Amino acid sequence: MRRLTAVDGRAAALGLFPGQKATDATALVPELIIAEADPAADAAALTKLVDWCARFSPAVAADPPDGLFLDITGVAHLWGGEAAMIDDLVRRLAAHGLTLRVAIAETPGAAWALAHFAPDRSRCENGQAATALAPLPVAALRLSQADAGQIGRLGLRSIGSVAALPRGELGRRFGSAVLKRLDQALGRAPEALTFRRPPNPWFARLAFAEPVSAPEDLATACNDIAAVLAARLEAEGQGARVFDLAFHRLDGRAERLSIALSLAGRDPAAVARLFQPLLERIDPGFGIEVVTLAARETETIGSRQACFSSSFGGGGPRSGGGAPNASPDRHRPPTSASPVLPPGGGERDDQDLSPFIDRLTNRLGAAVVWRAEAFASHAPERAAARRPPLTRPAETAWDAGRPRPVRLFRRPEPIEVIAPVPDDPPVLFRWRGQARRVRRAEGPERLAQEWWRRPFDDPAAVRDYYQVEDETGARFWLFRAGLYDAENPPRWWLHGLFG
Amino acid sequence: MSRAAQLMAVRGKLAALENRKGDVLPFGDRRIDACLPGGGLPLGCWHEAIGEGLESETAAATGAFIAALAAPLASRGAVVWVMRRQDLHAPGLASLGFPAERLIQVGAPSQTEALIALEDALRTPGIAAAIGEVERLDLIAGRRLQLACERHGAAGFVIRRRLYGRRRSDGLAAAATTRWRIASAPSEPEPGEPGLGPPRWRVELERCRGGRPGAWIMEKADGPLCLRVVAELGDRGLDTPSPIRLAG
Repeated sequence: MRRLTAVDGRAAALGLFPGQKATDATALVPELIIAEADPAADAAALTKLVDWCARFSPAVAADPPDGLFLDITGVAHLWGGEAAMIDDLVRRLAAHGLTLRVAIAETPGAAWALAHFAPDRSRCENGQAATALAPLPVAALRLSQADAGQIGRLGLRSIGSVAALPRGELGRRFGSAVLKRLDQALGRAPEALTFRRPPNPWFARLAFAEPVSAPEDLATACNDIAAVLAARLEAEGQGARVFDLAFHRLDGRAERLSIALSLAGRDPAAVARLFQPLLERIDPGFGIEVVTLAARETETIGSRQACFSSSFGGGGPRSGGGAPNASPDRHRPPTSASPVLPPGGGERDDQDLSPFIDRLTNRLGAAVVWRAEAFASHAPERAAARRPPLTRPAETAWDAGRPRPVRLFRRPEPIEVIAPVPDDPPVLFRWRGQARRVRRAEGPERLAQEWWRRPFDDPAAVRDYYQVEDETGARFWLFRAGLYDAENPPRWWLHGLFG
Repeated sequence: MSRAAQLMAVRGKLAALENRKGDVLPFGDRRIDACLPGGGLPLGCWHEAIGEGLESETAAATGAFIAALAAPLASRGAVVWVMRRQDLHAPGLASLGFPAERLIQVGAPSQTEALIALEDALRTPGIAAAIGEVERLDLIAGRRLQLACERHGAAGFVIRRRLYGRRRSDGLAAAATTRWRIASAPSEPEPGEPGLGPPRWRVELERCRGGRPGAWIMEKADGPLCLRVVAELGDRGLDTPSPIRLAG
C-alpha cells in the first residue's frame, strides 16, 4: 500500500496529511503531483545540512528524518543574542527554499517539544522547561506511538498532567521509556547527541581476522598502521603534528592514545616508537578487532624527511633552522673532514632535535618542555615567556644591564630586615631563620607593576629591588614593597638568588 | 687490500676514536687546566657539582657556575637543562653570558624522569651538553649517564640538589669523571667602584679521574670563556697534619 510520507503547505491546506493512503489522496485531489519518497537522499541532504550548520555551532547533530540539534552553548553572543541567531538561521535557510521551525531550550528534549508543538521561534529560559512544556501535548515527549496512545486513552492530554503523576505509578503503568523521555526533556536525565564531526581524510584502519590482545601484536599493529598512513601522507606531501591511535575492542569500547610531534612529520618508525611506551596502558579486554590511526594538524612538509638521518652527528653543511626546502648540499654524504659538531655556528638544525623533543613532550607533557623567550615586561616573573622548544628564537633579548637572579622564586619569601630609612639597602636581614650581614649592595632598581594589570595607586605596585651580597659572597635579590612610609613600614621580600 | 693499507685504516679509526675521547674544554688558565686530564674539562663524560648547606637546596651558585662553565658548549650544539623545581630564571643565565634563549628547559615530575630525560638528551646527536638537577644517583644511573655521554661526546653535568624540606641525603656517586664543590665567594669590585663586582665562586675540584684535585677562586669574565681564575687556593688542612698528599 502506498502512503504519503510528506506533504507541502498547499497540500496540507487541501486536507492531505502524511500517512494518508496515496489512492485516497488522489481521489480527494485528482491533480495531485506525487513524487517517489527517497529516504536515502533525504538522509544525505540532512547530513549536508548538518555540515552547513557548522557555521552556527561546532556541535551539530542530525535528528532523522527531518530535524537538527544545534548545541549553541556559548556561541549565541556572536550573533548578539539567541533571537538574532534564530533570525539569521531562518533567513539563510529560507533563502534556500527550506521551511523550518526553531526553538531554543536547555535540553534537546525540551527544544524538540517546543519546535514541534509550540509557536515557532519560542525560547525557554533555563529552569523554565517544566512550565513551558506543561501545556504541550504528550506526543511532544518523543514517545512511541503505543505509549502516546495509551497515555491519551487515560485522558492525560498534556505533559503537565503526566508530570504531576507520582513517579512510581507512572513508571509502573507506562514503563521506563516514558519516564526517561520526561526526565530528558526536563533536564533530569542526560541525553547524548551524536554530533557530526567533520570528516578527517587522514585516517587509516586495520581490521584483524582474529581478535588480538598480546602486547607484541599491538606493537606490530601500531607499526603496520603507521606505515599505511605514512604512505598516504607521503604520496600527498603531507605531515602531521598529532596522531590519534584507537584500539577498538570486541565489546565495543575503544582504547585511545595520542601523540604529538614538535615538527610535522610522517616517519612511520618515529610515530610507532612514540606510541610504544603508551601501549602498556591499553587494556585489550577480550581482544581487539580493529585499529584506527588518524592524523591531525596536517601541513605540507615537502621532502624534508627524505634526508633526515639521526645517525650522523653533523652530516655535511647545514642549511640552517629546518628550512623545508632541502638544499642540494644536504644530500652530500658526510665527509670525514666535517666536524662532528658544527663549531661556532649559531645556526642549528632543529631537525635533529625533534625526535628528542617529541619523546620528552609525549612523556612529560608539552607544558614542561620549553625555551625561554624575552617578553617585554617589567615584572620579573613575566620577563621570560615559555615557548615550544623548536620555535625560532625571537630577535628580542633581555637587557644585559639589569641584574637578574639565576633562581627566581615563584612567590617572593618574606624577610626581616634592618635597613636605614628611607631608601638605603638593608644592612642585615633574616631569611629562613638565618641572619645575614650585607657586605655590598647595589640598587635600588624601581620596578612598577604594569598599570594595565593593577591599579597604579596601589602602594604595593612599586617595588625597589636591591642586589645584596652577604659575607660569604652569596647574592640575593631583595625588594621593598611600596614606598617608605613612617607609619606603615613597608615589607621586605626575597625574590631570587644570584649565583 | 694490502696489510699496510689495513693497518692505516685501523690507525685512522683509532685516531678518530681517541680524538673524540680526548676532546676537552680548556679553562684557558694553566693553574686549573694542569689539574685536568688533557688540559681542560673533558667532554664525553659527566661531571658532578655539589653545594653546601642551604646551597644544596637552592643550587643558585652551583647553577650559575655550571651555566658559566657550559656557556662555550652552547655554540657547538643545543644545551638541555632538566630540573625538578622550575625556578631557573633565563634572564639571569643570560647575564652570565649563557645564551638562555636557546636553552631547552625540561621540568621533570620525579627523580627517575629527570634521569631518563637527562640520559635521553645526552644520547641525542646535536646536543652538546645536558645539565640535570638530581637529588641522588646510584652507580648504575651514573654508568648509564657515562655511556650516554660517550655516544656523541656530549658533556653531562649533574647538579646535586635536594627538594625543599627534604632530609639531606648522602652517598656520593663515584662514577662521575670530576666532582666539583661550589660555593659563592665575596666579590671584589674594582677599587673606587661602588656596588658589586662580578660574581665569584669558590671552586673545589674534589675528584678528577686522571687528574688531581685543587681549589680556586673563579670569577665571571666577559669573552668567549665566561670564567677566569682569580686565585689558586692552597691546602687549608692546617689542623690535620698530612705530610703527603696523594693525588687521585
